[in-house]
Amino acid sequence: MAAPAQVKYEDILKSPNADWLTYAGDYKGTRHSPLKQITTANAGSLVSKWVYRVPRAQKLQATPLVYQGVMYMTAPNEVRALDARTGRLIWEWRDTRAKRSDVNRGVALLGDSVFFITSDCHLTSLHRKTGAVNWQVKYADSEKDGVFAAMAPFAAKDKVIVGVGGGDTGMRGFLAAFDANSGKEVWRFWTVPKKGEPGSETWGDYVEYGGAGTWLSGTFDPELNLLYWTTGNPWPDFYGGDRKGDNWYSCGVVAVDLDTGKLKWFFQFTPGDTHDWDGQSWPVLIDKTFRGEPRKLLLHPNRNGFYYVLDRVTGKFLQATKLNDLVDWASGIDDKGRPILIPDKDPSPSGTRACPGVRGGANWMAPTYVPATGYLYVVTVEQCDIYTSSAKKPEPKAGFSGGGAGAKPRDVGTIYLRALDAATGKRMWQYPMPGPAVAWSGTVSTAGGVVFAGDDDGSLVALDAKSGKHLWNFQMGEDLYAAPMTYSVEGKQYVAIATASAVYAFGLFEPAVSVEIPKGAPR
Amino acid sequence: MKIAALFLVSLALLAQHVQDEDKKKRNPAIGNPQAIAEGEKMFNSGCAGCHGPGGQGGRGPNLAFGRVMWHTLTDEQTFQLIRDGVPNAGMPPSSMPEEKLWQLAAYVKSLREPAAEAPLQGNADLGKEIFWGKGRCQGCHSIRGSGGKLGPDLSNVGGTRPAGYIRMAIVEPGSQGSKGFEKASITLKAGKKLDGVIKNRNNYSLQLLDAKGDLHLLLVKDIAAMEIAKDSMMPALGKALSSEELDGLVAYLGKQTVRPVELGRN
Repeated sequence: MAAPAQVKYEDILKSPNADWLTYAGDYKGTRHSPLKQITTANAGSLVSKWVYRVPRAQKLQATPLVYQGVMYMTAPNEVRALDARTGRLIWEWRDTRAKRSDVNRGVALLGDSVFFITSDCHLTSLHRKTGAVNWQVKYADSEKDGVFAAMAPFAAKDKVIVGVGGGDTGMRGFLAAFDANSGKEVWRFWTVPKKGEPGSETWGDYVEYGGAGTWLSGTFDPELNLLYWTTGNPWPDFYGGDRKGDNWYSCGVVAVDLDTGKLKWFFQFTPGDTHDWDGQSWPVLIDKTFRGEPRKLLLHPNRNGFYYVLDRVTGKFLQATKLNDLVDWASGIDDKGRPILIPDKDPSPSGTRACPGVRGGANWMAPTYVPATGYLYVVTVEQCDIYTSSAKKPEPKAGFSGGGAGAKPRDVGTIYLRALDAATGKRMWQYPMPGPAVAWSGTVSTAGGVVFAGDDDGSLVALDAKSGKHLWNFQMGEDLYAAPMTYSVEGKQYVAIATASAVYAFGLFEPAVSVEIPKGAPR
Repeated sequence: MKIAALFLVSLALLAQHVQDEDKKKRNPAIGNPQAIAEGEKMFNSGCAGCHGPGGQGGRGPNLAFGRVMWHTLTDEQTFQLIRDGVPNAGMPPSSMPEEKLWQLAAYVKSLREPAAEAPLQGNADLGKEIFWGKGRCQGCHSIRGSGGKLGPDLSNVGGTRPAGYIRMAIVEPGSQGSKGFEKASITLKAGKKLDGVIKNRNNYSLQLLDAKGDLHLLLVKDIAAMEIAKDSMMPALGKALSSEELDGLVAYLGKQTVRPVELGRN
């Protein structure tokens, strides 16, 4: 099979289909594929088709992208193109001069380019067929600015959008858009306003290194031309005494115009956060009847233990329900969307137990939405932590986060995959994942009625989307930090996932065909 | 070529810690173009007899790329080794002044550093003309999005390969292997014929890039016959270019690095 043509914006609008063209499969963050060769009836016949061991990899977090039979997979500062039918390497590119090596979550595709970000914030454009370098731009100084990058860049129309992490040690978050052809910066939106700018009054005396990282890819509504991007914690994470107020635009979601980078609206899940409950976990965009009225919704399971539904046109808060059983910092969310606080749950010098724990009720583990059931499937953690604080004068870029959090040994926690009725937040079923609560895997769903999820013990699991019934699992023998995805080549559907060190692809069983070595082949 | 590249990279990783420590107290001669040029002159007159031209080995060990450096020498150790010699192995000590010894150490070090970190004497502007003109390099190789697709991308060649490696690849193409760039002609059972370079292959599948830049993801069960060229597709340019032109081309390619190199930063 040949791989002609280019990845056009219009193609991404139709993704996923046979191809999987964005981190979340589509622009709306649903991770739902129309593929239906694998069904609830035959998922039991899935077998592994190939395994590609990523050299030196120890903690892969990327979701691979697939375009016309080629899979694009990343490791820190490394990109590889694989034959998606066989797992064979086509090309690799490694930035051996990068000044940091953190985790990496994947690439973006547009035109003939693969876009990739190094740990030290160099956006890199590679030719998708050869891995040849088109250009590289440094969009932040990882040393001077105290930032790093782990996200898959986000490509839409003619732009590539990037963000930064580093909010746990003091920095200033932003989103930046680059021209996909030239690599020229088009706009930059700062998630911490400068002193004197609107929103800076929400920071008490302290603004400069407020954090509000933008470390996960966002989602996009092509009709509204709005990017939806979640923001991280204010800094210092666990001590709010120097930054009294709501701390805009931390721990929330910003809606930003793709062409101009101008803010359309902002909603904050956790005002003035002191538990490191980043807003990350990307916003899922669906159109659905809500309380009798058709609406453009934004769904968001949050690290603070609540599940939110917003109107994505205006940012208006519609509803929040408890995602977790263990939530003790707020008794609920009021009708304006603000938490109703329970006293004495802030971190303290001697330690305060609060739930959820610091890794949150939800986090960046990928959720999926299935239109046929109307359910949102979310990986959640039930756990509490002891939160401590320090009023030490904050020193940015020096490893200081204002305190810390840790669990008592018996509070190790349990991971569940939960199916929520997207409109009401009602828990329809849950699938417990016994294990050491170390997984950060996520989900993908298909029109075959199957939800795939990585579990807490190294298995990829297939469940019936409607009932949560177990259909199949495969033990891969490594901790999981990445979410599965699905694609099809020449009419055959595959499900792929990265384990800590390898990429696995699964498909329905087929008997092997004997291969003769062709005439003229070296022997 | 790819095998050699991986090999070099793993050496680089092995050596990284040593190098980082080393950079903190670096002698000013290291990475200094004039010092390296002075060192080269001394090397050619006093050391090349045993270590070979360009340090590529002779009676004495290869000092350039490709040498297995399980115990990579620090700058200081290189300096000491030149000063004290290895009398048991027939290498005499040197009584040159310290400054000269450091120039020699700077040259020896430059032999195994990425070319972009070891400034070259050739005329890079001339090399640029050769690359994009009479050398016809751009027909197969690309730099930052311009040029052909069949050969290795050279956008970062100076940032990853020593100058000696680049020179050898020009003079003796394929001498470092050509995995990932083998020229092949494939006939499918369905009758279609495909020509291009093999990016990867095993007994079950084969990934081919054709001259138009299209990828063909083939299953071996669909292939009737294949021919794989033994030699590199690349013509040897050693004789076609004057020594000045060759130096220029090496200098131009040596400057190709995706990230700017801050010489003398440490």
